[in-house]
Amino acid sequence: MEDTTRKSKGEDIISAANSARWDLGTDFHDSIIESIYENASHIARKTVKQVGEKEAYSFDLKVDKLVTSKWLGFPMMFLVLAVVFWLTVAGANYPSGLLASLLIDTMHPILKNLAASINMPWWLDGVLIDGAYLSMAWVIAVMLPPMAIFFPIFTLLEDLGYLPRVAFNMDNLFRKAGAHGKQALTMSMGFGCNAAGVVAARVIDSPRERLIAIITNNFSLCNGRWPTQILIATIFIGAVVPASLAGVVSAGAVVGMAVLGIFFSLVVSWGLSKSVLKGEASSFSLELPPYRPPRVLQTLYTSLIDRTVIVLWRAVVFAIPAGVVIWLIANIKIGDLSLAEHFIDWSNPFALVFGLNGVILLAYIIAIPANEIVIPTILMLTVLSTNMTDVGAGSGVMFELDSIADTANVLHAGGWTLLTGINLMMFSLLHNPCSTTILTIYKETKSLKWTLVSTFLPIVLGLIVTFFTTQLWYLFTT
Amino acid sequence: MLPLLQIQPGILLLIGLAVTTLLFWFFWPMNGGLALITKLIRNNKRALLEDALKYIFDCEYNKTSCNINSLAGHLNIAMDKATQLLNRLTTLELVTLNNQSVALTDDGRSYALRIVRIHRIWERYLADQTSVAPADWHHEADRIEHVVSKEETERLAAQMGNPVFDPHGDPIPTAEGQLPKHRGVRLNTLQEGEMGRITHLEDEPRSIYEQLVVLDLYPGMQVYVTDVTDKKITFVAHGEECILTPLFAGYITVEKLSKEETQAPKQELLSSLKIGENAEVLGISPNCRGSQRRRLMDLGIVPGSKVSAVIKSASGDPVGYRILGTTIGIRKQHADQVFINRKN
Repeated sequence: MEDTTRKSKGEDIISAANSARWDLGTDFHDSIIESIYENASHIARKTVKQVGEKEAYSFDLKVDKLVTSKWLGFPMMFLVLAVVFWLTVAGANYPSGLLASLLIDTMHPILKNLAASINMPWWLDGVLIDGAYLSMAWVIAVMLPPMAIFFPIFTLLEDLGYLPRVAFNMDNLFRKAGAHGKQALTMSMGFGCNAAGVVAARVIDSPRERLIAIITNNFSLCNGRWPTQILIATIFIGAVVPASLAGVVSAGAVVGMAVLGIFFSLVVSWGLSKSVLKGEASSFSLELPPYRPPRVLQTLYTSLIDRTVIVLWRAVVFAIPAGVVIWLIANIKIGDLSLAEHFIDWSNPFALVFGLNGVILLAYIIAIPANEIVIPTILMLTVLSTNMTDVGAGSGVMFELDSIADTANVLHAGGWTLLTGINLMMFSLLHNPCSTTILTIYKETKSLKWTLVSTFLPIVLGLIVTFFTTQLWYLFTT
Repeated sequence: MLPLLQIQPGILLLIGLAVTTLLFWFFWPMNGGLALITKLIRNNKRALLEDALKYIFDCEYNKTSCNINSLAGHLNIAMDKATQLLNRLTTLELVTLNNQSVALTDDGRSYALRIVRIHRIWERYLADQTSVAPADWHHEADRIEHVVSKEETERLAAQMGNPVFDPHGDPIPTAEGQLPKHRGVRLNTLQEGEMGRITHLEDEPRSIYEQLVVLDLYPGMQVYVTDVTDKKITFVAHGEECILTPLFAGYITVEKLSKEETQAPKQELLSSLKIGENAEVLGISPNCRGSQRRRLMDLGIVPGSKVSAVIKSASGDPVGYRILGTTIGIRKQHADQVFINRKN
C-alpha cells in the first residue's frame, strides 16, 4: 500500500518536472552550459597570468601571414608537395633497385637451387618460391622505400605545424564539396598510401566529414600506382609525340591523372554529402597550433613503426596468398589452356567494350592485395596468353623487364594500343582500393556497408569512365 | 569479331548512357529506384495509418475540426481510400466517428503521441547533429518515424539529453504521452508596437517554411512589430526589418513579451570583424545548435571572452581567430552565428 503511494508520488514529481521543462523553453540547457563556461573563463582571466606568450606568438603570426597569404599560400603549398613527391620518387629509386636485386635477382635463384638440391616437387617449388616468395619480394622492394621516405617527411611537416595551415587554405574548396578542410591532409597522405590516408582521417572529428574523407581517399593516386602510371604513360602517351617532348608529355599525363583523381575526390565528396551522407552527424572547427621545431628522431621512429611497418606487414600478409593464386592459375590446366587463359578468353569481349582486355581485368582481380604487382602480373599473363617463348621467366612467374622498350614490345604483342594505355591509366586511378586499404576502412568505420561502398563505388566509376572514353574514341576514329 | 563489338560505337554509346542513367537513378537516395522499392515493401499501410492518426491528433491539439474530406486532402489520397482507412481505424478502436467529425480514442491518442514523439525527437536530431537542410528536417523525420523502433528513438533522446522541444518550437510529448496545452498567439494577431518571442514556426507546407528559413527566423528570436496593415505585417527581428503577408505571419506562433524583457535588438557578428580587430563575445545565436554549438563553446567562444581576427585563409573563407591564446579557423557560416561587441 505504502509502496504504491510512494510510486505515484514519484510519478507526480517526474510529471511536474517535465511540465517545468516546457516552461523553461528551448535554450535552458545552453544557458546553463554557457554560464558554466563563462564563469570558468572569468575565473581564469582573473587568476591566470601569461608571461612572454605574446613575443612567441608574434613570430608565429608573421609566418602564418606568409603561409596563408593570397598570392604565396597556394604556390608554396604546391612547391612543398612537389618537393615531397620528388624526394620520395627519386630517393626510393636506388633502395628499391637494391632490394629488387637482392630479393629477386639474388635470393630467388638461390632459393630455386636450394629447392632443386633437396628434390622439392616442381609444383611445391612453384607455389612457394615462384608464387608466394616472389610476390612478397615484389611488394617489399616496391613498397618499402617510398613509404619509408614519404611518411617521415609527411609526419615532420605535420609536427612542424605546416599541415594544419594547408587544411586552412584548402578549406574553402572542401567546404563547397560538403567536406572538411582536413580532408586535404588525408588526401595528400593518400598519395603515399591509401591505407595510411584512411587512418589519418581520424584527425577529422566530425563523423560525417570523416566518412567522406575515408570513402574518397582511394581517389588519391598512391605510391603503388605511380610506377604503373609512369610506365604506361611513357610507353603509350610519350610515343605519340616527338621524342624531344616525350618526357614532358608523359610526365604531364601522370600529373593529369593525379589531378583527375583530386577532381573525382571532390565531386564524389560533393555527391555523397548531398545524398546518402547528409543525415550523418556534422560539425566544423580547425585549430592552428603554434609552430614547433619537429622532434626528428621520435618522428622517424613513430612514422616507421606506426605507418610504414604496419602497412607493409598487412600488404605482405595479403601478397603471399596472391602470389600462390597467381602461380596456380597460370599452371593449373583444363584441357590445353591454363585457368588464367580460360578467364582471359572468356572475359575479353566484355573487357574490350571498356577498352581494356582480359589480361588487365585478371591482373586487377588477383592484384587486389597490392597495386605494386599489377605490372609484373600483366607482363606474365600477356606472355602466357600470347605464347611468347623468348621473354619472361616461365608461367606463373612474375617479372619486370629492364628496358622500357622491351616492356613496350611485350604489350604491343599483347594487342595493346594507345587507347588501352589510356584506359589502363584511368582504371588504375579508378578501381577498388587494395585489400590492405579495404581492411583498414573496415577497421576504421566498423561498418560493412561503408566498406562495400568504398570498394565498389570506384570500380563502377572506373568502368563508366573507361566505357565512355572507349566508345567516344571509336566514334571519332572510325 | 566478337558479337558485342559489332554493334556500332554510337549505338553502344547510347546504350551505355542509358545504363549509366538507370544506374544513377536506381541508387539515388530518397526518390531513386532502390528507395522507391524499399518504400513500397516497407509497411505502406502502417505509414498511412500513422499519418492519419497524427493528422487527427494535430486537429485536436489545435482545436480545429477534422472530417473525412480534410483527412483525404491532407494525406493526398482518394475519398474511398480515406473511407477504408477510417473504417480500419475504427475497427482497431483507435478513432470514433461521430456524424461527420472524427475523434481519437484513448488508445488512438497514445499511439499518435508516440509517433509525434518519434517525429519530433528525430527532427531535433537532424537539426542539431547533422547537415540536413532546415527545409528537409520535417520530411526526413516523416520518413524515419515509420521505420525506427521506439527503443532506438529513446536511446537517441537520452543521448541528446531528452530534449523537450523540436527545432520548430513544438513541444515533444514525454514517453508517457504528456503534452503541454497549446500556447502562444499567431504573429498576425499582434498589434503595432507589441513585442514577442517566436515559439514556433509551422513546418508545413514546405514552400512557406522555406520562406521563413530564408528570412533567418527561428524559435527563440525576439520580434518587435512596427507596422500592421491589411496587406502586410512589418516587424524587426534581430535588428533586421522583415515584411510578411498576414497569411505567412499566421504560420509563426509567438509568445507576447512585456517591454522590460527585451534585449538590445541589433548585434554585430563575428564575421564582420576585420583582420587585426578585437572584440568581446556576447553569445552564440540560438540558431547554432548541437555539436557545432558545443564545439564553439569548447574553443572558448563564451560571453565575455576576447576574440581577435588574425589571419585569413588563402582562399578567403575560414578566418583564423585568436581566442584564449590559440588560433582557430572558423568558417564564415559559423562566424555569422556569433554575436560580438566591438571595443572602442
